[in-house]
Amino acid sequence: MGQYLPILALGILATLFALISLIASRLLNPGRPNDAKNAPYECGIVDQVAPPERFPVRFYLVAMIFIVFDIEIIFLYPFTAVYRELGSFGLVSVIEFAVAVFASFLYVVANGALDWGPLKQVRRSGMMVTPSRTSTSTIRRVGQEGREVHVGDEGVAA
Amino acid sequence: MIFGIDPLLENIDGAAILIVLVKVVIAFAALMVSVMAMVWFERKIVARMQNRLGPNVAGPFGILQTLADGIKLFFKEDLIPDNADPFVFRLAPYLSLVPAFLVFMVIPLGGDFNNGKGGVVTWFGSTNETLFQLADPHIGILFVLAMSSIAVYGVMLAGWSSGSKYPLLGSVRATAQMVSYEAALGLSLLAVLLNSGSLSTNAIVAGQQAWNWNAWATGGVPFIVFMIAATAELNRPPFDLVEAEQELVGGFHTEYSSIRFALFFLAEFMNTITMSAVIVTLFLGGPAGPTGWAPEWLQGVLPTVYFFAKLLMFLFIFVWFRGTLPRLRYDQLMDLGWKVLIPLSLAWFLLLAAFKVGQDQNWNRFLVGGVGVVTIVFGAALVSGAASAARARRADQEVAS
Repeated sequence: MGQYLPILALGILATLFALISLIASRLLNPGRPNDAKNAPYECGIVDQVAPPERFPVRFYLVAMIFIVFDIEIIFLYPFTAVYRELGSFGLVSVIEFAVAVFASFLYVVANGALDWGPLKQVRRSGMMVTPSRTSTSTIRRVGQEGREVHVGDEGVAA
Repeated sequence: MIFGIDPLLENIDGAAILIVLVKVVIAFAALMVSVMAMVWFERKIVARMQNRLGPNVAGPFGILQTLADGIKLFFKEDLIPDNADPFVFRLAPYLSLVPAFLVFMVIPLGGDFNNGKGGVVTWFGSTNETLFQLADPHIGILFVLAMSSIAVYGVMLAGWSSGSKYPLLGSVRATAQMVSYEAALGLSLLAVLLNSGSLSTNAIVAGQQAWNWNAWATGGVPFIVFMIAATAELNRPPFDLVEAEQELVGGFHTEYSSIRFALFFLAEFMNTITMSAVIVTLFLGGPAGPTGWAPEWLQGVLPTVYFFAKLLMFLFIFVWFRGTLPRLRYDQLMDLGWKVLIPLSLAWFLLLAAFKVGQDQNWNRFLVGGVGVVTIVFGAALVSGAASAARARRADQEVAS
């Protein structure tokens, strides 16, 4: 297992680094906690509501669908290593497998398991919309009225 | 060989252990220094893109700013909120940091891969041949994926254990996002593995010599999908929903202060560097590049120079993304991941596999390509049909209720 020795060594080194910096920080930092500091962050307001314990079920659905895809990926990795030996049989099997996963994926998508956020509603305006109503005709430029442009005004002339 | 013993290290003696230790310490130091440099680089580039100066006081061009910030964080008060779960709260930074270090081990940083030399370099006398990478396990790429999955736990547990609403929301978002894009990441990786036929990073690099880089050898699509999925996996802009400042304060590390916050920050930037290195290794040939023109003494150094040049390019691209792209909305993020990237990379993998098998079986490649493209278009139509069916159903329900 010679190749895993460096992984172990670097893992230990990284853990030691984190540990030593935490100890150093404990020695160096001023430990003066108070109630306000230890309260959950809420821009200085006292929090009235506890953090929610329940989540939209979509998050769980995403995690479950991910497992299906993860299993597919895990089955496909060995295929990439031996596809030459398996030939067309391997290809057909992989395509069958992918089609099965894809069909269930379509079912999931069609049932809206992967839809997030509010539905975009396009409302028709009740007002009559005519071609003459353009941005130049409907938008009133503020501050233009009453400002007579004087002939011979330095700024306008330039 | 059956237990993955590398012949280079089969008879472990003092010299071999010494090499391992020297390599590990050098890699550790190099990673720390490169994280420092990366933080400075990002701040400086983003500052210039926003017409600011960026850090310019500590050291020449402000290059010691990160070190100064790090030392300052040691002296800051380390708070553990009353509502927090103390054990998990303390554990989470480790879960984030240690995998970030470990991913870097499987990246080949240099060495000559031409003519089947396999990137072996000789250090400490001619008897001790070693690779210019810390470890070359046969499962190299699976190791990268496993470590990036463990990093999800760091983010998730940090948010959950804080006992506060913003970190909790951030961590729930982070989990769903990282899980979604990990599927796209793994699927786009399959095309590379199909080309190299091995999971070992060393073999993947060795298979990309003579400009046969995977970025174009796999047809470009897996490279782009991997790039997008990697950005999302790193929680970097434009996919930084996890720490969207405007809505979630700091995201999963809102309650963290002092050196614990610094460890998360360190892990985040280290992940950026290692993910760029993974992209370079998988798609741009790692240390590959033209070395024939150089004199003898330069030949050993050039691959490492090429590797770091490519790495720097990707680091710049990540900073560029941050400087220019607006953040996605959450439903857009999920739609992109699930309804575009995952089906696309799966379809592309099957198309490539059909081409490869067809080559061996002497099938007509135009027929294979034609059937593949028709199937992909049909599949895309099915996905968009399913999505619009879901939309119509929701519209009905909302009108009914």
